[in-house]
Amino acid sequence: MVDGHTRALRTEFVDGNRPLTPRTCLIVDDSRIIRKVARRIVEGLGFEVDEAADGSEALAFCAGVMPEIILLDWSMPVMDGMTFLRRLRTLPGGAGPKILFCTIETRAERIAEALSAGADDYVMKPFDGEILTSKFAEVGAV
Amino acid sequence: MSPEDFDRLQTLMATRAGSRLTRDRMKLAEHRLGPVARREGFETVEAMMAALWAKPVARLGWLVIEALLNPETWFRRDRPTFDTFARELLPVLSAARQGAPIKVWSAGCSTGQEAWSLAIGALDAGLTAEIVATDLSQRALEKARSGAYTGFEIQRGLKASTMLDWFDQVEDNWIANARLRSAVHFARANLLDASKDEHRFDVIFCRHVICDMEPARRAGVLDNLERRLVDDGCLFLGPDEQLANDSLAFRPVAGRKGLFVKSPAALSRAA
Repeated sequence: MVDGHTRALRTEFVDGNRPLTPRTCLIVDDSRIIRKVARRIVEGLGFEVDEAADGSEALAFCAGVMPEIILLDWSMPVMDGMTFLRRLRTLPGGAGPKILFCTIETRAERIAEALSAGADDYVMKPFDGEILTSKFAEVGAV
Repeated sequence: MSPEDFDRLQTLMATRAGSRLTRDRMKLAEHRLGPVARREGFETVEAMMAALWAKPVARLGWLVIEALLNPETWFRRDRPTFDTFARELLPVLSAARQGAPIKVWSAGCSTGQEAWSLAIGALDAGLTAEIVATDLSQRALEKARSGAYTGFEIQRGLKASTMLDWFDQVEDNWIANARLRSAVHFARANLLDASKDEHRFDVIFCRHVICDMEPARRAGVLDNLERRLVDDGCLFLGPDEQLANDSLAFRPVAGRKGLFVKSPAALSRAA
C-alpha cells in the first residue's frame, strides 16, 4: 500500500531530479494499442506503468495500490471512465491520483463535464508524446 | 537542388531575414520549397530557383524565405517563462505603471501561440496587457490572426480548462474568443529593420529567434530590440539562448533563465 506518508518519503530520496522509487501511472483503456503507445510515452517520463482494460479492473487495482496519475479513457466496456472516476474519489486515498482523461470525445460540453466531475486535465485523441508530456507538466506530475 | 542554388538561398536568407541556413538543412529546404513551387505554378523547385535568380521578384523571394523560416512554436513553450511573466513581472509592472496597460511585444510570433499564451496569462491575472505580435512570415501571421488551432495544436501546452475558457470550438478547430482577440494585435515586421517611431514596450519576448540567426546579424537585431524596450523593461529569450558577445545592450538576470534587462552601457547611452 502506498499511503501519503510513504509518498512523501519517496520524493525525499532524490537522485538528481528523479525520485529513487519510480513514480506510478495507471493507463486505463480498452484498446491494447492505445495502452501500448501511451505506456511507451509515460515510461519515457520516468514512470512505472500499470494497465487496466476497463474501469472495473482499474478500480480493483486502485483499491490495492493508488497510482499517482491515471490516464483514463471514457468509453469502455464493463465500467466507463466517468463511473470509475466517481467511484475512485470515494475510495480511501482516492482523492490523491491526478486524473487525465484521454479520449476520442472532443466536444467542449463533454470536456467540461469531465473536468467538473473531478478530472485534472483532458487529452483529446489523437495525441503524441509532446502533448502528453505537456499535460503531465500542467498537472504537476513531471 | 544544386550547391549553387543552395549558396544563393543561404545569401538570400542571411541578407533579407538575418537567418542562418546551415548546409545540413539542404534536404529540409528542398522539402519545404516543394509546396511553394507547386502553388506558384513551377514544375520543380529548381525551376522556381532559376526563375528567382533570373528575375528577383520580391513576392516570390519572400515566399521562399517564409518557407525556410522555422515556424515551430506551441502554447506556453518553456512554461516557467510564462509563470515568471504572469505571476512576477506583470503585477510589479502594473503597480509601477499605476494600472496602465502593460505593453508587450511578441517578436517572431510565428503562428501566434506565444502571444495568446501571454494574453491568457495577463487576463487570468486580472491585469491589462496590450500585446503586439509580429513575424516576418505572412503565412504564419495569417494563421496567427485566424486564432484557429487543431485539437493537436491547441492541447500542446494548454490545459483543457484554459482551452475551454479562451477558445470556442468550431467543428474541428478551437478559435480564440473575442475577449482574447481584443488583447493581441498582429503585424508583419522584420527584426533587421530599425525602428522608425518611438513606440516602446515594457516586455519583449524574442524566443528561439536569435539562435536561428547569422551571428553577424545578432547584434543589430538586439540593438533594435533594445531601442524598442523601456529602460526598466525586460527581454525574454529562449531559456537556453545566451548572448555571449553578441550584444552589449543586455545583461542576464541571475536565476531566471532567458530573462535579460538593459545593460548599464545601454542605459548610459540612452541618458
